[in-house]
Amino acid sequence: MKNIVVTLCFIIILSGFMAANAIVPDNEFSFSERRKLSEIPEFSLEKLLSGDLFEEFEEYALDQFVLRDVFRGIKAIGRYYLFNQKDNNKIYIVDGNISKMEYPLDERSVFNAAKKLNDIYTRYLQGTNVSYAIIPDKNYFLASQNGYLSMDYDRLVEIMNQNVKNMKYIDLFSVLSIEDYYRTDIHWSQDRIIHVADVLLKELGNEARASGVQYSREEMYPFNGSFYGQAALRLEPDIMVYLTNDIIENAVVYDHIDKTYSKVYMHDRFGTIDSYDFFLSGARSLITVLNPACTTGRELILFRDSFGSSIAPLLLEGYSKITLVDLRYFGTELLGDYIDFTEGQDILFLYNTQILNKSAMLK
Amino acid sequence: MRLSPLWANKANNMLFSSISFLYYFLPVVLGLYFIAPGKFKNFILLVASLFFYFYGEPVYSLLMVASIVSGYLHGLWINRARGGRCAKIPLVSSIIVSIGFLVFFKYTDFFIENVNSIFGTNIALLKIIMPIGISFYTFQILSYTIDVYRGEAKVQRNILNFATYVSLFPQLIAGPIVRYTDIEAELAHRTHSFADIAYGINRFIMGLAKKVIIANTLGELGKVFSNANEKTVLFYWINAIAFMLQIYFDFSGYSDMAIGLGRIFGFHFLENFNYPFISKSLAEFWRRWHMSLGTWFRDYVYIPMGGNRVSKPRWIWNISVVWFLTGFWHGAQWNFIIWGLYYAVLLILEKHLFNKLLEKLHPAARHIYVMFFLVISFVIFNANSINEALVNLKGMFFMLDVPFTSFETNYYLGSYALVMTIAVIGATPAAKGIISRINRYNMGRLALSVFEPAVHVALFLLVTGYLVDGSFNPFLYFRF
Repeated sequence: MKNIVVTLCFIIILSGFMAANAIVPDNEFSFSERRKLSEIPEFSLEKLLSGDLFEEFEEYALDQFVLRDVFRGIKAIGRYYLFNQKDNNKIYIVDGNISKMEYPLDERSVFNAAKKLNDIYTRYLQGTNVSYAIIPDKNYFLASQNGYLSMDYDRLVEIMNQNVKNMKYIDLFSVLSIEDYYRTDIHWSQDRIIHVADVLLKELGNEARASGVQYSREEMYPFNGSFYGQAALRLEPDIMVYLTNDIIENAVVYDHIDKTYSKVYMHDRFGTIDSYDFFLSGARSLITVLNPACTTGRELILFRDSFGSSIAPLLLEGYSKITLVDLRYFGTELLGDYIDFTEGQDILFLYNTQILNKSAMLK
Repeated sequence: MRLSPLWANKANNMLFSSISFLYYFLPVVLGLYFIAPGKFKNFILLVASLFFYFYGEPVYSLLMVASIVSGYLHGLWINRARGGRCAKIPLVSSIIVSIGFLVFFKYTDFFIENVNSIFGTNIALLKIIMPIGISFYTFQILSYTIDVYRGEAKVQRNILNFATYVSLFPQLIAGPIVRYTDIEAELAHRTHSFADIAYGINRFIMGLAKKVIIANTLGELGKVFSNANEKTVLFYWINAIAFMLQIYFDFSGYSDMAIGLGRIFGFHFLENFNYPFISKSLAEFWRRWHMSLGTWFRDYVYIPMGGNRVSKPRWIWNISVVWFLTGFWHGAQWNFIIWGLYYAVLLILEKHLFNKLLEKLHPAARHIYVMFFLVISFVIFNANSINEALVNLKGMFFMLDVPFTSFETNYYLGSYALVMTIAVIGATPAAKGIISRINRYNMGRLALSVFEPAVHVALFLLVTGYLVDGSFNPFLYFRF
């Protein structure tokens, strides 16, 4: 009897999943992994004989396996709880706060980042008011205290300070804490960084303060951040909070590449593959936020990564115009074609530590 | 359409531990096999096996078919020439053809590299990608032709049955090396029962779990070590021990899957591992590790050379040749040859110098002795070059300027401690002993009859999770 049960169980599992894989329609995207999934490979004799066809089929079979996320969750449970492993694909969880180990420090990358900043200064920014600030990633607060690996942040800052010339360093490490970040995402939460915006405005010599502005606090739920899908466990989603007022609502965002106009907050982006795109439409190589409410004519050029998207609206109080440049998608040599660098502008390089540790992505 | 040279195609073999095998190939083959009438079952297995090989080695499938035809025809020729003056010619021909294929596809570039190195020549490498499993199926074909020559096996006149034997997908690409005589009768007639099928399923799932959950996880640790920011003495040791466990769980896991699948289809393959890490001498270890290879070399090389019934110098020569070949069989690299000769030296010393001393030692001390030399041997085995092996050995024995440990080392030790502990316990017969004790009692048997299938289902789903979240993870022995 036992042998029959074992045999039946095995057949049911194998044939059941085979049938389910055949019946259930394929998905184009994985929202949890934030990537496009493989499609069934097209047949060709050349691909068949070279082995490419079956290689592609392997990828397809993995990507399109029914209940893929459930099975990824089973694996995560196995690693964390059954085998007591500290991380799963470098993802670790401390008190419901998810992070991804970034280790070790790639000193060459940081030197390269410093050189990149210096090159831009030499080429475009001489004589302007230039500052740079480094945003610590969550591991700065979570990793070593909880026995996880993290980069040597002191050394990172030391390399930047010693090698970046003609720019003022603004320390953000001392003003941030883990509570300022989403639990399921890499980013900081906008309602928690008003004081960071104040520090930046002050250090840039701007008298405006975000803390002196009246904002309406709005919430959106659920926000499953980028680490949520990677963790593959059922954890409590975050609440995405954004701050708004008439200044922000009336500001206009111009995309220099697409030549289109949009709003600061893009409600239709919430709930998409990356909800953080809610802020300034996410990854955009070159955009300008025009603030008609500010008549000072003061202008900020912000070299930034995705963290910059959520803090830029808080800086609007002090600027008529903020231009955001994402060097991951925009070549340095093209800057002069799109931006008029003039002496009165404030310039801020605002990058998180993970970008500096992988600076090859800066063009 | 431009095709690459025959030997330059990539190898992408369908693994037992892959979604495509588990959830596409296997259910279809099982369905067709058990629906088909008895006389068509070998045909189903042959077609499935050829597709299985074609999936990973589209063009090299022709080589395997050529090897099958060669083995089949040589068997007939040997049988026909039996008793005649030229009886040895077909046997020698069979060995030349089989070994010729193996040498060309596995060792040509190694020989060219060494000729270039010794004579300063600049002969271009052929960049041959080795056909997966060639070392295994070549030895299977040779066992057949040699046994037919010796009269220990009847010639197989049915090419379908012979092709099924050589290409049988459960053990095609990583063993165990199944002798023709072991399954000769089952190729012609075999029975199927729920007892055999259930045993095969359980064995297959255990092998799958050994491979996917333990071996692959330990393999990750090896990659972490390779990319470590700061290597330490402790990390060198962790890496060495983790690899030793990884290769055991990888290879014995594959053997379990092969034996399990074979049993589902009605074949009884011989065991390939018998808890080698509990050995108290190196000779015992080799009686328990990769047994099908050890017995193959014993029966087809060592004993024909005279075995141990010769003078001592001749015996030392015999041992050295066998272990040189064993090392070289594992790969066309000097570190494999050194690894083989390392065992030759140790086994010679063990038999003639250490043996009496070992017998007087406490079993724990004997065990430590075996483990010590095994760890070193697997460091040599695992290295991509002799230089890498030396560096790793120096690192283990405080001969490099590295700290004893570091935060990074401690992190990975902590993260992999439980998996390594499970692996160490799993490499002993402890679990088997506990189960057999429980089975002595009626209540125990009843509990096990529920618990065991439930654990296997859970393991199978967990393995699926690991596979779905993972990527390509070939078996270590595919490269041999």
